[in-house]
Amino acid sequence: MELTWSVEQEQFRAALRGFLDAKATVETLRPHLDEDDPVAAFDRGVWEQLAVQLGAQALAIPEEQGGAGASLAEQLLVLEELGRVLYDGPFLATVIATAVLNTIGPAAAGALLQGIAEGATVATLAEAEGDAFFRPPADTQVHIAGPTARVTGVKRYVLDGGVADVLLVTATTPEEPALVAVETSAAGVEVTPVRTLDRTRRMATVSLKDAEGTVLAVGADAARALAHACDVAIAALAAEQVGGAARCLELTVEYSKLREQFGRPIGSFQALKHRCADVLVSVEQSRSAVLYAAWASQEDPAELGTAACVAGARASEAYLQAAQENLQMHGGIGYTWEHDAHLYLRRAKSSHQLFGSPAEHRRRLADLVKL
Amino acid sequence: MKLNWTSEEESFRAELRGFLQSVQLGKPPKDKIGRTDWARRWNATLCDNGFAGPGWPKEYGGMALDLRHQVIYHEELARARVPAPPGTGVAMCGPTIIKHGTPEQRERFLKPMLRSDEVWCQAFSEPGAGSDLPSLTTTARRDGDDYVVNGQKVWNSAADVADMAFTLVRTGARDSRQKGISYLLIDMKSPGVEVRPLKDITGGAAFCEIFFDDVRVPVANRIGEENEGWKITRTTLGHERSAGVLKQAAFYRNIVDEIYGLLRERGTTEDPVSRDRLADLEVQTRILQVNALRILSHIQEYGEPGPIASVNRLINSTFEQRLHEIALELLGPAGLLDGADGVQGRRWTYGYLRTRASTIGAGTMEIQRNAVAEQVLGMPFDPAMPPR
Repeated sequence: MELTWSVEQEQFRAALRGFLDAKATVETLRPHLDEDDPVAAFDRGVWEQLAVQLGAQALAIPEEQGGAGASLAEQLLVLEELGRVLYDGPFLATVIATAVLNTIGPAAAGALLQGIAEGATVATLAEAEGDAFFRPPADTQVHIAGPTARVTGVKRYVLDGGVADVLLVTATTPEEPALVAVETSAAGVEVTPVRTLDRTRRMATVSLKDAEGTVLAVGADAARALAHACDVAIAALAAEQVGGAARCLELTVEYSKLREQFGRPIGSFQALKHRCADVLVSVEQSRSAVLYAAWASQEDPAELGTAACVAGARASEAYLQAAQENLQMHGGIGYTWEHDAHLYLRRAKSSHQLFGSPAEHRRRLADLVKL
Repeated sequence: MKLNWTSEEESFRAELRGFLQSVQLGKPPKDKIGRTDWARRWNATLCDNGFAGPGWPKEYGGMALDLRHQVIYHEELARARVPAPPGTGVAMCGPTIIKHGTPEQRERFLKPMLRSDEVWCQAFSEPGAGSDLPSLTTTARRDGDDYVVNGQKVWNSAADVADMAFTLVRTGARDSRQKGISYLLIDMKSPGVEVRPLKDITGGAAFCEIFFDDVRVPVANRIGEENEGWKITRTTLGHERSAGVLKQAAFYRNIVDEIYGLLRERGTTEDPVSRDRLADLEVQTRILQVNALRILSHIQEYGEPGPIASVNRLINSTFEQRLHEIALELLGPAGLLDGADGVQGRRWTYGYLRTRASTIGAGTMEIQRNAVAEQVLGMPFDPAMPPR
């Protein structure tokens, strides 16, 4: 691919934006923000329409498994659009789960991929233990007997755990790592949604007590799947962050043209102009970094890790800057619950922590490029 | 990240590389005059063999290359360490003459400019007209077939070695701003022209001041109509500017790798705080490369350079400063040595000082932010500012 979205990809983007304008705006999130059960608010109908009308969930799934045979690049484009409207469905989780299952291959993962492509199955990776993302599994134990496995342990920060049908659980035998598919309805699985800073991103703690599942991969195959999931997760989140940051800047600029003080629009003041220009610089740099990840995924997969670190480090900071500046430049109105500024701020700040901080991405980058 | 080149493009590269290897002009002399002469000889050689003016039309001696070929051209010249044409004529004034000059002006000025037989300097800024360039006060009073020019210009690179200057002068009323400015070409050997090197913070003098005292300039040296010089000052050809962006990104990549090499030798790269600084530099360096390729891809797909081009200068100028700040910081105590004791021939202290100009020259950072906010984001003009 080239380092820009093609005309066809932009047409797909426009169709998706039209769909979201009609079905999933920030307004549609509003009624649920005060509810204690974030899971109940998930609109499964919109999720299924996203699959049926736009094929969004099927993009990176091979045609043999009922997918569109596209790639991570197209998923990143979708994430950018979903990030703009703070979409609360399990798309990020789906992208990561799809990456894991694609790595494992159709023999073990084909049926799951088919379900995801149709929008019928929601799968999510359950990997974090304690307080870190993407470490090799240590505390979650698995006992394997043939194709079945029994898993015991606690997984935290599970994206959309409360709405998922299938958990892709990282675990370890006494000898080696393993990856196991466990249905959330299985005996011994307890999913407890947790309240999060970002009320539009669902997370859960998952407790597994001798829960039965299907073995997807063991040993090096499982480790490779997790490593790939890490790269994809960071790149995917960065794409979402770009969308959110760009939307924040639009909202800031729109308001700066309307709001008048001292008899003139506040956007005519240099103090605001300079900061908006700086946010644009950050947004465009982040866009470049995401295109880099999209390019790497297609043209040079060995470089995806590096590109993901670059994208994660830059886009995390850009979104936080854009969301904080958006709130600041709205003044008092931006501090109210009714205004959307805090919804973007919550998403930006929590995304800044998700899958590792910018400093952690830089640390990994330093190792990858052998500084 | 690499571009995929066609076989035709690769053979152009091979032909150019072969030619450059055949040129035997030796190493650059140390002194400024000698170095300028050496650069002149290089460009004359390029010109005589049809390898000058990558973006210029063929009828004026250029190569009329498309963007991708221009990228190859710049890569190969950088690889062979070919000096840029001395002065700023080829990049900045040539395109204006090509698009807005008369046939006589093109005939008279373009070939000697491209061949570096005549070196050109820009004379736009004045002591009282920096960010507010339309307030310039150097006057050109009509007297028969001549203009009589009086005033002072500043920040003129290469003025001390230049044969010609391209200038903006006031031909309209004192307060006519953009509507009373003409674009005038002045022979630097004319009586009444005085050039003084301007010592800058690096201790060197890359810039000069120019004083015009009753300098007579033929009206025939005016490009475009009288009082209509403002609009044509930023004339560019095709995608020359975009090709320059790619060239610059490759240049930065090399400097950053040199910083890594230096700091690795000194064992600095093991320290976690230093590593974080350097990794941040790596993030930015890679993004710069992508930015450049994004412009290329966007032109190919959509025919224009796209959104990144509008903020690229802001990004690059801050980056240049940042990389020198980090280099000096991570050199530790050695970073405070300068002159003959400076690390690697004082390139890092010099670079640190020199890049302070990156956010001032050719439009300050502040002016550029205003332009981005107003022209890209569509934010309202400041009603207290004069109309644009």
